[in-house]
Amino acid sequence: MKDVTITVNGETIKARVEPRLTLADFLRDQRRLTGTHLGCEQGACGTCTVLLSNEPVRSCLVFAVACDGQPVQSIEGFADDPVMSSLRIAFKEEHALQCGFCTPGMLVTARDIVLRSKDDDEKRVRTELAGNLCRCTGYMGIVSAVRRVIRERLARGPA
Amino acid sequence: MAGKGIGARLLRKEDDRHLHGRGRFVGDMAPSGMKEVAFVRSPVAHARIRRIVKPEGAEDRVFTLDDLTGVKLIRANSKLPTYKPSDYPVLATGKVRFVGEPIAMCVGDTRAEAEDLAQEVVVDFEDLPPVADMLKAREPGAALVHEQWGSNIALETWRDDDIDAVAAKAAFKVTQECRMARQAMVPMEGKGVLAEWDERQGQLIVHTSTQVPHLIRSGLAEHLGIEERQVRVIAPDVGGGFGFKCVLQPEEVAVCWLARKTRSPIRYLEDRREHLTAAANAREHHYTVTAYTDQRGKILAIDAVVHVDVGAYSVWPFTSCLEAAQAGGNLPGPYIIPTYRVHTYTMATNKPPLSPYRGVARPSVCFAMDLTIDAIARAVGREPYEVRLENLVPASAMPYTNITKKFFDSGDYPESLKRAAKLIGFEAIRERQKKPERDGRLIGVGFATYTEQTAHGTSVFSAWGIPLVPGYEQAMVRLMPDGGLEVRVGVQSHGQGMETTLAQIASEVLTIDPAHISVTHGDTGLTPFSTGTYASRSIVMAGGAVSRASKILVERIMRIGAHLMQVGQADVRVADGRVVGPKSSVDFREIGRVWYKNPEELPANVDLGGVEVTTGYRPNPDTGTFAYSSHAVVVALDPDTGVVELLDYVVVEDCGTMVNPMIVDGQTYGGVAQGIGTALYEEVPYDSEGQPLASTFLDYLLPGATDVPSIRIDHTVSPSPHTEFGIKGMGEGGAIAPPASIANAINDALRPLGAEVNRTPMTPKRVLAAILAAKARKSAA
Repeated sequence: MKDVTITVNGETIKARVEPRLTLADFLRDQRRLTGTHLGCEQGACGTCTVLLSNEPVRSCLVFAVACDGQPVQSIEGFADDPVMSSLRIAFKEEHALQCGFCTPGMLVTARDIVLRSKDDDEKRVRTELAGNLCRCTGYMGIVSAVRRVIRERLARGPA
Repeated sequence: MAGKGIGARLLRKEDDRHLHGRGRFVGDMAPSGMKEVAFVRSPVAHARIRRIVKPEGAEDRVFTLDDLTGVKLIRANSKLPTYKPSDYPVLATGKVRFVGEPIAMCVGDTRAEAEDLAQEVVVDFEDLPPVADMLKAREPGAALVHEQWGSNIALETWRDDDIDAVAAKAAFKVTQECRMARQAMVPMEGKGVLAEWDERQGQLIVHTSTQVPHLIRSGLAEHLGIEERQVRVIAPDVGGGFGFKCVLQPEEVAVCWLARKTRSPIRYLEDRREHLTAAANAREHHYTVTAYTDQRGKILAIDAVVHVDVGAYSVWPFTSCLEAAQAGGNLPGPYIIPTYRVHTYTMATNKPPLSPYRGVARPSVCFAMDLTIDAIARAVGREPYEVRLENLVPASAMPYTNITKKFFDSGDYPESLKRAAKLIGFEAIRERQKKPERDGRLIGVGFATYTEQTAHGTSVFSAWGIPLVPGYEQAMVRLMPDGGLEVRVGVQSHGQGMETTLAQIASEVLTIDPAHISVTHGDTGLTPFSTGTYASRSIVMAGGAVSRASKILVERIMRIGAHLMQVGQADVRVADGRVVGPKSSVDFREIGRVWYKNPEELPANVDLGGVEVTTGYRPNPDTGTFAYSSHAVVVALDPDTGVVELLDYVVVEDCGTMVNPMIVDGQTYGGVAQGIGTALYEEVPYDSEGQPLASTFLDYLLPGATDVPSIRIDHTVSPSPHTEFGIKGMGEGGAIAPPASIANAINDALRPLGAEVNRTPMTPKRVLAAILAAKARKSAA
């Protein structure tokens, strides 16, 4: 067991964890933040994507002990984030979700894409989304929503 | 409610919780005292179990079938004459019959501890030769999956028209062989089940990731040997199903037994490896189709032999018969087939049981039939598009009863194909193909057209004789004291958006704003009985029931409203949530107030059923609605690498009246993406020892955002004459045509090379192999 200090959605958490405990299981089982979903636990589907020190990571591949001293942001932690708010509206209006299971990870990835994008080029957006699998939507609504938020953000100018 | 009822592109009620990570899936639930289980699974495909050794000191935390007192073997019966049911043990006993078959259940405080324990269990096997391939399974001397059967044939069906007479006068005889690979269904959420015993109710409360909660209640009660009233099944948010979650899983039974025995909450969450290798297998079919045609390619007869690899056991309740029964019945597709002979063999092998996946047999039969149409076109020297058009059932023949007695209720199939050709720019592509592409790739265009029998009811399922036959679908609607509405249905929505669309249907009748209508589904304790969500049935059946119940309720509301205004009931109507009379109107809130709080104001002749109605619905005829669609696709194929890119994909779709066009399109996009997966990427290959070769998402490829093109959809609307509002089911349809349309496009591209593909997934390796084989044939000749 190892003692760690992890800032989760702005709250500093001191915890004692097994070395084999993943960040995903730490969030879901210990913090009861169940918005982060597990789709494969093989690092391939992107469903469990969260921000670790502001970078998207697959929380099924990261051990909690490796997050010691770092901030983590999960889907529950974006209440005041303007890009996430725009994405939520666009995802709903563009029908970018059906069962909703991949949605939290998809949103965390989408937000990162939006923040880095200087254009709404469809091919690039699809390539950047390729690490997040969705089985329901055929990606149509997701691609539309992400491109729309990029356009809206570019039109407004840098915040 | 103007603009929010049937036909409105209403945004979904279910979205907000998911967008905030507040959905509630089985894996999100963890009652205090919960324990988790992991299963010891067979590492070999076929073996006798000599001995199972529990770890010392952990004997009370490891369970084998011998421990599961009172638990019955899962036996899915069918009335089909040649069917051989299998006894599917919840935990393997005597033999293991596929890699991944559960042998023992281990329990721990966490999944990790349960897995640690599972690793310490020792199983001693005596290897048996495996049956790894459905065609070899029929060969003499093949090992037997179930010795008592005497062969590996689980079901044999046939229909014998006199082919020889037709063959004698046919101008062309064309034989097409094809094979659809075994694949997995892969909802992003795997199976999950959490069972706990409620002492107060004397009831097992089972939260399970299922499409069919009422069926699972029956299945659990039957296999645990307890009464149905002692089981309540709740499907919370379910992260996709696609058919996998409409059958009873052995793990579900085992977990429930343990929860009842120990009185502790017990949870099992399937991991992805378990899902891919041990559970959600689907599709594996092989066809040999011989068509007899006239000079122009008009089909005179079809003669087909079908093999289906159903794996080791028959799933409850849909059985191993469903695939072959559908394959034989639906192979003629949307085409006029005057003479038809078919023989189907349902083969048991040492692989996981086959479960019904989106479209069930129809993607396979569409693949077989539409490849055959293109083969006919090549043989007679005409455009596949024209040969297809000529063989489709014309609009003038509707309604049409086809050779297998499918009753096509309405539609214009040729118009659908014509529109698809126009949208894809068929003639322009033919022009483009005349010149070589700058990048050296080959361009191809392909079509496929299908009908999708949906929401088929009692008469169809009773003929198959499965354990549970769907009947009158029920719904409950209840006006609340404040004028809002509760809708309760026994189906389950897991992405289809029925919390929204069923509210739209109720709103259409009752004029209450959908914002004030809540839909409760997926809980046997709260909803009327339903066989659940499968076979693209819910919007027709549950939607129809909601409509009928709402129509009864609106009459009762109008009677009370007319009395309050002191006018005749004939003089009132409803609009915007009000009963409107000649001079005044009353809000539904008033109706609610009077019924619940001031009954002294009610009319003397008030209906004592009050302001809630439960009623049943079944269309007449109940043989199913026939949605249909034509798909067209353009591919670019690299002849040096075999890589196929989809340049354009067009769907012309007709599902009758659309309740919510946004959701219809969403279902179509998602279905097509899954069909693209079947066509190009997805396969669980097995080696000759019956070992699965794809067990992670690194070797089982799902289509990602770069693999699915921007799909274009056009609609025609041919309402069903037999359903409420003319609605037809359509959820599975998108997945049916892509393997066929893409194969036809690839073969169109390969035509200059004389190569053809006929097997899914059409991976670069398979495409390249077809090209090399054609080259070898050429140089030999």
